[in-house]
Amino acid sequence: MLVLLAAIFILHIACICVLLAATIHNAWWMTDTVSTDIWARWTLGASGNWNYTEIPNNYPTEYLQAVQASSVLACIFCILGLFVFVAQLYTLPKGKRFLFTGAFQLLAWLCIMIAASIYTDIFHKGENGWYGASFILAWIGVCLTLISCITYFVLRKKTA
Amino acid sequence: MLSVLALTSVVLLGIASQTTAIVVYTSWERHALVGSDVRLSCSFFSWQWTSPDVTFTWHYRPDGAKDNIAIFHYGGGVAYADNKGPFRDRLEFVGNPNRRDGSIVIKNVDYSDNGTFTCDAKNPPDIVGRPSSVRLLVFEKVPVQAGVITGAIIGVVLGLLILIVAIYYLMRFLVARRVFSLSMSKHGKKGKGKEGSQQKQALAVTDPAKLKAAASEKKKQESRREKK
Repeated sequence: MLVLLAAIFILHIACICVLLAATIHNAWWMTDTVSTDIWARWTLGASGNWNYTEIPNNYPTEYLQAVQASSVLACIFCILGLFVFVAQLYTLPKGKRFLFTGAFQLLAWLCIMIAASIYTDIFHKGENGWYGASFILAWIGVCLTLISCITYFVLRKKTA
Repeated sequence: MLSVLALTSVVLLGIASQTTAIVVYTSWERHALVGSDVRLSCSFFSWQWTSPDVTFTWHYRPDGAKDNIAIFHYGGGVAYADNKGPFRDRLEFVGNPNRRDGSIVIKNVDYSDNGTFTCDAKNPPDIVGRPSSVRLLVFEKVPVQAGVITGAIIGVVLGLLILIVAIYYLMRFLVARRVFSLSMSKHGKKGKGKEGSQQKQALAVTDPAKLKAAASEKKKQESRREKK
């Protein structure tokens, strides 16, 4: 029983780490000299130094800000869900499901899926380059939060 | 003893340096549409009273150029606006020197007005200070400021979440209070003889379906009493 609890806890922490890394690290799209999105752009200068520059104006700003907002919200909901899980561990009557925690994870899944989908559909169509680490982590986050959400909806508190 | 002396000397030095530096404030950047009027605000902070000899000077440096040209000067109670340079007939002084405001308005801006405007204010005897610059950016279409939509979305979603949780707990609190008052009124009305059965009845009312029936029954009883 303790092993199961530890596993679920570690899964939730893994979700948080993945979501935070995807949101903070500016590496959704990469080329040989550029690592960009969603907050700023790193460009490789002639001297071999990486320079932190602004994202150019030809990006559709409304979509970019929507991606920013929903990825930040996904992180917030996931972290709040962890605290709610710990609270529910102590206050939930025996035999009941962790619905409140599952609701927070569901919201986090929804938000990160919105962010990843908008980014995949709108940005960098037909450009040379490849998707970077943060993009892959965002989609991994989608899967992990869904698994975590379903676990919380199915799990029941141990009856004595 | 030495430490007290050191402390007081540092404090006095701090006060003395503050009373001799003027601090000029302008915006960092101004965005404007082509053809519109833009107001460049400038104000200052000074430990001295506002003197009648207060002066405001605006300089302009176009994007990519190296030198400043003066475009506005206010001194001795008179405002002198540009009458030869790129801003002739387009500059207006809208500030109030008595309230330490040295703002100007540039009318009908164009792409050639992109550049840095520097405001320098002097309030004799407080003249030591650094001028402050504001950058003018002229657009065909004003772009969405970075972070406005992001902040709005996050704020609205979190606000809705807090609202929903608050309403949920409020409903639970109201329902519990109704149950409590219902059990109290039944207990008081029918006396001690039927206490046991009344208490059981009150507890059974916690079922939400029965609760609504009990609530409506209570309302009917109250309306019957009012009619009497």
